[in-house]
Parts: sequence; C-alpha cells; structure tokens
Amino acid sequence: MKRQKVLFLKENYVLRVLKSFMVAGLFAIALLLILVHKIDLGIVSGVSNGIFYITAPLIRLVSLPADALSYGYKKTAAIANVYRENERLRQENEELFLLKDKMKALKAENKILKKLLHHIDLPQTQSYTARVIAENGDAFANSLIIYLGKEAPNIKRGYAVVNNRGLIGRIDIVSGNYARVTLLTDINSKIPVVSQKSRDRGILTGNNTNELSLIFTPLLAELHKGDLLVTSGVGGGLPPDIPVARIKRVGVENITAVPLFSASSLEIVKVIAYDIMPAAATAEELQ
Amino acid sequence: MSAAKNFFAGLGILLVPFISIMALVLLLCIPRFSEFWNLLRIAPFYAGIYFWQSQRPDAFNSITAFLLGIFADILGAAPLGVNIITFLVFYAISQHLSSYFNIKKFAYSWLLFIFATLATELFKGLLVSIFYRTLIPFKPLIFEFLLISALYPLFTRFYIWVERRFIHLEERYEKI
Repeated sequence: MKRQKVLFLKENYVLRVLKSFMVAGLFAIALLLILVHKIDLGIVSGVSNGIFYITAPLIRLVSLPADALSYGYKKTAAIANVYRENERLRQENEELFLLKDKMKALKAENKILKKLLHHIDLPQTQSYTARVIAENGDAFANSLIIYLGKEAPNIKRGYAVVNNRGLIGRIDIVSGNYARVTLLTDINSKIPVVSQKSRDRGILTGNNTNELSLIFTPLLAELHKGDLLVTSGVGGGLPPDIPVARIKRVGVENITAVPLFSASSLEIVKVIAYDIMPAAATAEELQ
Repeated sequence: MSAAKNFFAGLGILLVPFISIMALVLLLCIPRFSEFWNLLRIAPFYAGIYFWQSQRPDAFNSITAFLLGIFADILGAAPLGVNIITFLVFYAISQHLSSYFNIKKFAYSWLLFIFATLATELFKGLLVSIFYRTLIPFKPLIFEFLLISALYPLFTRFYIWVERRFIHLEERYEKI
C-alpha cells in the first residue's frame, strides 16, 4: 500500500519543467564535451586523468581475487602438462644452441660493418614490465588498463606497449600508478609500419574489429598475404622494427592485417620508453 | 536533525543504483575469457539504466545517467561525451516507454528494453561515425546489441536483489 502511494505521487508542474530543462542542459554539456574532445583541448585530458585516477585502483582491487584464481588454474594446468612441456623445451633448447653460435658470429660481423660505415645507432631504449589489470572497451573502443607501480613517473603518453610477440598498443593516459593503453585494434590507433620483406611503408589503422587496415601504401607496393609488418620508426614516436601485424588479405581497394596478439590472453606487457623527439627549440631550428 | 537525516537517506537511495551498476561494470573489467567479452562490458550500463529508471524512478535520474556516461567513456577509451549522450538518449527513451507501456510485466519490459537498446545503439553508431568521419563496422555493433538484449534478465536479477536488499520502498519509508 505504501509503495503505491509513493510511486503515484503527483509531481509538481514546476519541478517537472525544471527536470526537462535539466535533461536538455545535460545533453548540451555532453555535446560540448564531444566538441572539446574533438578540438583536443587540455581540459578533457585533465578530467580523464582525474576519473582514471579514481577508477583504476578500484579495478585493481576487484581484480585481485580473479588474478589469484587465474594463477591457481594456470599452475594446476602447468603441473598436468609438465612432462610434455619438458620434452618440447628440450627440443627447442637444442635448436637454440645451434642458433646461438650463428648469432654470435653475425653480431660480431654486424659490429665491424657498422664501424666501417660510421653507422649511428639509435639510443638504447629502457623498458618497464607492467601487469594488465583490466581489459576495457566495447564495440567502439579497445583499451587495457595496466599497473605500473613505482615505475609510473618514468612512463609517458605515446610509449609503445609490447608483449612477447610484438606491439599491442600505445600508452594513452598515465594517472597515479596506472596507465591506459589504446590497443592497435582501436579506431584511434594509427601506426606507421613497413613491410619487413619489401620495405614498403604504410599506416596501420584500427577499426574496432580484429582486422586492421593498411592505408597510404605506395601504388606499386609489393605486399603479399603472410608478410610481416613492423614499426617503421617514422615520426620518432615508436622504435623501429617491432613486429606489429601479419597481412591477411591484399585487395585492390584495401589491404587488411591481423595483429599478433590476442587481447584476451594478455597478462604481462612491456612498456618501451623511447624518446628521440627533439626539444621544441631544436625542432624549430631543424625546420 | 530530521532534515539532515532525510537528506542523507535520499542521497543514499540515489547512490545505490549508481554503485550497483558500477560494481557490475568493474567486475566485468577483470576476466579476459574471449574476444566477445569486450562487447559485454557495456551491458550492465544499459540494463541498469533501464531497470532503475523504469522500476525506481525516484532513485535514478538523468544526472546519474550522465555520471555513468563519464565513467563509461573514461574506462572504455571512447571519446569523452559519446557514452554520456548515448546514456542520456537511452534514459529519455526508456522514460518515454515506461510511461506509456506496462513495464510491470517482465516480458513486456524486456521487449521494450530490446527496442530501446536497438534505437540507442544505432544512434551511438551514427554518433561515433560522425565523430571519426568514417562509417564504423556494424558487425560488432549488432553483436553487442544481441549480447545486451540476451543478458538483460541476468543483470536484472542482480539489480532486483540490490533493490530488495538495500532500498526497498516499504522498508525505506518505515525507517524514515
């Protein structure tokens, strides 16, 4: 009886008008936010950082029991497969031993050749290991949240994030001890790449599906199904030669590629700190 | 003293829907079972907004939808404002539907939810396409819509439990 009384209480007319104005006002604010985001003003990143600062530790807290369960499951599975895994590793080890001597000889030869050609090496990159604590996004966006811990002050926006197979994305937001990574598959992702075989350049763009599009390729580019695309290093934002994707289809209209990672299996990633962009004053002088 | 008590009680009632939705969202952020899991993360928002708006309009308003939109945008790396405006549209549609139809019957309620979700998802697709000036692929959009629609009863069960446990009307008015 009491429930009915409350639910069917007649609303004040003035209050109702005010309410509809409030909805209209909120719509206007949302539209304004979209516009501000589009023209990329600093305010939006400030708001994003603030909210990210609050939510990321919460996600970490909730993810702890799930992590423990996942760890337990993986350990059990590993114990069950220990014999088979041992055999596989023994075989792999033998193959690697053969490769090791070859690699040593090549490395020495490379060093001599570089010296002869006065080759300038790229600066050494520093890398930091981080744990994936959440995978986010929907049909329109793809991102990860990683825990950086005390290394957070060393991480900047734009740094490359890789796993054992290759590039997975770039740092988008760093706030507190956490960072958000925009994955290669996200519609905002645009990576300058080069074909490892033919050295033809292009831009690899995400479109929120598991297939990436290769655009801005030369007209007579020699690209084939199965070719590996690696970072070109053009623009200075990413280190060169990191594997990114493998070409899936080469059509007349479009070229598609598949990333080398599966978002659902990412646990530990590496953030590569690569800073070769010149300071503002130097950049002006260079122009 | 009584006014202050009423104020905090009112605030608590408004916080319960928000916290219940965010709890489910945060929970779905963790496990990474398969590729389609990504499309599932927006479902608690839709189910929550629809459920709380239609069943407990006194505990849910447009400001809550707005705040949820901000969190959805930041967590999902979507352009800030896209999910806010989408949730406000969804809120407005569900408000309209619940005032014209009998939402007390679950089958009707679910059907109306599917309709409201479809309209909102199409709107969102259009909005994102305009934002990026490119037509976004429709396959994940449709898949996301199907998942949201199919899992509505599951999420609703949780929200019903929260409503009964924390802010059931009879209990609330007896206390105040």
